[in-house]
Amino acid sequence: MKAAFIINGKKEEFEIAPGDVLLDVLRNNGHNEVKGNCYMGTCGACTVLIDGVPKASCTTLAAQVAEAEITTITGIGSVLNPHPLQLAFVEKGAVQCGYCTPGAILTAYALLRKNPDPSEDDIKSALDGNLCRCTGYIQQIEAVKLAVKLLKEGGNR
Amino acid sequence: MKQYRCVGSNVRKIDALGLATGQPVFTDDFCLKDMLHIKFIYSPHPHAIIEDIDSSEAEKMPGVKMVLSYKNTPQVLHTTAGQGWPEPSPYDTCMFNKKVRYIGDRVAAVVAESEEIALEALRQVKVTYNVLPAVFEAEEALKENAPVIHDEEGIQGVYDAKRNLVAHVEVRAGDIEKGFQESDVVVENTFETQFAQHCPIETHIAISYLDENGRIVIRTSTQVPFHVRRIVAQVLNVPVSRIRVIKPRIGGGFGSKQEIILEEVVAFVTMKTGLPARAIFSREEEFYASRTRHPMKVTVKIGAKKDGKLNAISMYTLSNTGAYGTHGLTVISNVGSKTLPLYNKAPNVEFVGDVVYTNLPVPGAYRGYGATQGYASLEQAMDMLAEKLGIDPVELRKINHIREGETSPIFKALGEGREGVTQYIQSCALEKLIELGAKEIGWLEKRGKQQKEGTKVRGIGMSIHMQGSGIPLVDMGAASIKLNEDGSVNVLYGGTDIGTGLDTAVAQIVGEVLGISPEKVIVYAADTDMTPFDKGAYASSGTFISGGAVYNAALKLRETLFEEARLSFGEIDSRDYTIENEKIVSPVSGKTISISELVYQTLYVRKHKQLMETASFVSETSPPPFAAHFVEIEVDKETGTVTPITYVAAVDCGRVVNPELTRGQIIGSIINGIGYALTEECKFSDKGKMVNPNFMDYRIPSSRDIPEIKVILVETHEPTGPLGVKSVAEININGPIPAIGNAIYDAIGVRLHSSAYTPEKVLKAIKGSI
Amino acid sequence: MHRLRGVKECLYPASAEEAARMLSEKGDSARIVGGGLHLSAFPNPQVSTLIFLTKAGLTYIRTDEQRVRIGALATITEFAENREAQSVLRGSVSRTCKCIASQLLRNQITFGGSVAQREPYSDVASILLALRAKVLLNDGFNDFEIEIEEFYKKDFRSILKKAVIKEVNFENFGSEFHFAMERFTRNATDISHLNVATLLKLEELRISDASIFVGSRPSSPYRFAELEEFLKGKELGDQTAKEAQEFAREKVEVEKDIRISKEYRKELVGVYVKRILLKTLSEVV
Repeated sequence: MKAAFIINGKKEEFEIAPGDVLLDVLRNNGHNEVKGNCYMGTCGACTVLIDGVPKASCTTLAAQVAEAEITTITGIGSVLNPHPLQLAFVEKGAVQCGYCTPGAILTAYALLRKNPDPSEDDIKSALDGNLCRCTGYIQQIEAVKLAVKLLKEGGNR
Repeated sequence: MKQYRCVGSNVRKIDALGLATGQPVFTDDFCLKDMLHIKFIYSPHPHAIIEDIDSSEAEKMPGVKMVLSYKNTPQVLHTTAGQGWPEPSPYDTCMFNKKVRYIGDRVAAVVAESEEIALEALRQVKVTYNVLPAVFEAEEALKENAPVIHDEEGIQGVYDAKRNLVAHVEVRAGDIEKGFQESDVVVENTFETQFAQHCPIETHIAISYLDENGRIVIRTSTQVPFHVRRIVAQVLNVPVSRIRVIKPRIGGGFGSKQEIILEEVVAFVTMKTGLPARAIFSREEEFYASRTRHPMKVTVKIGAKKDGKLNAISMYTLSNTGAYGTHGLTVISNVGSKTLPLYNKAPNVEFVGDVVYTNLPVPGAYRGYGATQGYASLEQAMDMLAEKLGIDPVELRKINHIREGETSPIFKALGEGREGVTQYIQSCALEKLIELGAKEIGWLEKRGKQQKEGTKVRGIGMSIHMQGSGIPLVDMGAASIKLNEDGSVNVLYGGTDIGTGLDTAVAQIVGEVLGISPEKVIVYAADTDMTPFDKGAYASSGTFISGGAVYNAALKLRETLFEEARLSFGEIDSRDYTIENEKIVSPVSGKTISISELVYQTLYVRKHKQLMETASFVSETSPPPFAAHFVEIEVDKETGTVTPITYVAAVDCGRVVNPELTRGQIIGSIINGIGYALTEECKFSDKGKMVNPNFMDYRIPSSRDIPEIKVILVETHEPTGPLGVKSVAEININGPIPAIGNAIYDAIGVRLHSSAYTPEKVLKAIKGSI
Repeated sequence: MHRLRGVKECLYPASAEEAARMLSEKGDSARIVGGGLHLSAFPNPQVSTLIFLTKAGLTYIRTDEQRVRIGALATITEFAENREAQSVLRGSVSRTCKCIASQLLRNQITFGGSVAQREPYSDVASILLALRAKVLLNDGFNDFEIEIEEFYKKDFRSILKKAVIKEVNFENFGSEFHFAMERFTRNATDISHLNVATLLKLEELRISDASIFVGSRPSSPYRFAELEEFLKGKELGDQTAKEAQEFAREKVEVEKDIRISKEYRKELVGVYVKRILLKTLSEVV
């Protein structure tokens, strides 16, 4: 079946199988910035924003979110024009292997949109579905705190 | 200690921004036309002979290319362990075997045009088994009538296959019996560690294809590209020159990818079909079909004099190596070699170890590599000894730990599958680490106080550790550095950054030696065609060995630059030249020339040459990093739940190249260790099937499960390491089990003898029995 | 790669009524989709039709003087963050929901899906049972409402073959009611391996009514009626808490599984009951 999605602000139409999950649809159609393959919603590497809400794309049925606004990591910044969160993760040593990073940053992005001044507990709670085996989370939390500062200084993005 | 200009600062990790913006840099971010997909059939029996495989129905299905099994693949016995040649692991497996030895062992594979078709076809393959009796406990497997797991012709490197004994290690110094007799106090501690899995967030994946000249290119998530090349060549019986291995960005390894598991299969398919091939593990397969950590039973006996001086230490280790012997011998050797020298004051030392086959999923290399299991027992035995002696545990460590200038007979006696190398400690800040760590946690204020709040009680515990930096006289890395006309350099080296930041450390080392900004260092790594050799990412050898090679190459290049400058200046001696602001300076005459100008000259104008140098590095030493860990925990006496509150790690890793990246290694390994200590357990049915191969049921820490972590770095200058460095990759994962175990004892007065310290286990210990 | 292999069509009804009629028409091979978590994580090749409720207007959360109403497609996160819902029962239900699983899963799990699926470890089921919630369904023609305990006593999976959950609702309890829940998890984002949900009605310190459910035991929640009877008429206090702990540990119906033993579950139930009573006491004094 044909399904249209709005990905990073751009309408894209794909041929999908009705039972496809969003992660596979994205990766098979030019969006390999979305990582992950646990297919149980438990590792968080596949996190995307669906209408601004972080969800695991591996357990999201693609047909359910047709016409929703989907945001992937490339939708918030790029190498030449990174989002303050991306810069903050880099600055604070929060990127080791980087495989969980896009998912974690998107989750943090959604958090800061909802709550521009989160407590440490708010940050830990928000990130609790994005497993990381490399960093032990502490530098990720510090990165989010730095991003809060950068966003306050530079205006919201 | 000399201050560095570039090394020692928080240079931005060179690949971080690309990763944070989702660049397609991982193995699977690479898709080729007409790629074939491989899915595996796994054994439902723990021990069986494959009587027959009928793949005729599957092969008829449209889109199915072939079905692989022992019938049509090379029967070359090899080891999957990514180690230096000749590998100290048994050659006890073929790509596909005729016998299956655990539930999850590979039986056959379907190769098809899509994953979907492959998965569909799997169900059409009919396998008949002749089921054999199985054995799961190491002690049982050693017994007289136990089923023999490896009875095939031609296996090599197994100590006694009829007894399922992969390896037996015995090493002694002094007279152990006499040592115990002479001791005033003797304690014994047996500790059992569990099966655990590395859980890299990116699972194993390999892709292969033929290049334009018919060579096989393998793009794989690996820690050991050069070993992959050699072992795949061995298995496929083709020359090494026919294969190229490329390591892209890796989504975590922790030891699980120091293994050749998928590469030989994809390469075989490409070789046979001429088409690209892809194999990827699902999360479930990652748990039971890749590698795990060796569960071990470690019995430590320590004898000491009244004054606290250790007189005798013996360690007996029984290691369960599952269905195949990969890393079995070397991991058990590290149980002793990375622990016993720490307490070199004991003149009488004994290490005995047995590595045993069982019909369970296969352990391999996992961060810590045996030292973790050894310290789990040893550092708790030390606390037991301290109590019996009436000496504070911190004081007992201070009396007995190794110091600068000292050695231990274990260094020579216990290598990795061969004899080790004598070495003397040339940098050690343990005294300072212990002092600072104890102060930070509040040792004197809190130890023994059992501070209560409602039903919760607090305790603090500590442990000290050493590890190694590479394997001496075995591990080698090499690097080439070439100069470009803007004064930048390309570094081509075999070192394998698996997310740790090694490429960045290398840029800093080169920047330091050549006096250029690390942003002018372009690093290309781990491509067997394009870069010199490196043994790969294991044994905490990245900065020390790979960095050492890069350092040597940079030094050579610096000399070459000075020589070119001398010619340009028309001077006689370049001995005291320096580099300042990317210019080469002759202090006596005051003449200068920029690196950039020199390169323009030599590339285009006169005495044309490419300024480039290559160097290797192998070390005669493996200088240990040291760590002192202190943890404050809270035990809920009604539920048995253990919560770490504050964790202090004081670490001496030599000179620190990049403080933030170093801190990341320390924190990451501690959190992994805390998971191993408290919640991570692979669970098996009574038939040996792993029943929790997913994140829902195998619990690794999330962001809500972390204590406060304080990292204290104390720098030393290691004379045998490039720019004074040692290593930091593994050591800190060793702390949580013993430090938390010791803290639990402080809190509730009960000692546990196995990990993980689950709430039920702790509560049972508190209550005697429920 | 992970596809629900059998699925051939996707339907998007505009209302719960339409959805229920489609469900009846398509029969056993059709599934109503809540968040989609269970369907995709544990795929069933027999499923060939997916009925999405995204257009059916069921994402509401409404609170009035009488009831709190949660639409079937409202997620756990949406409920936990809903302002009005946070004032119910001193915010205890919201706070409990905020800790379940992980943020990503809370963003996806719906109340309708939880009630319909009723995993034995479902905290949502235990909570709604303790709160004596009602389930509002539509069979394609008419709305009908069942008390959730009744619903689960019946063959609810058969009911759900012909009817669609529209909402769950519970009383907007007055200040004499207290809700509390304790859960055993191995770490923060784990499912429960034992949960105890209680709703107590107090007259001064005296327990005049109790609704207590124990779930993930490892089977699905049951009403701990004996403990409810034991507590009725007793005064909140240290003595009652201690006696209740003993009684609960003795009488509760739990079993073992591969994760934790029967004895440990019993021990936990006792401890949790005691803690719930003491916590409730501290809210009152």
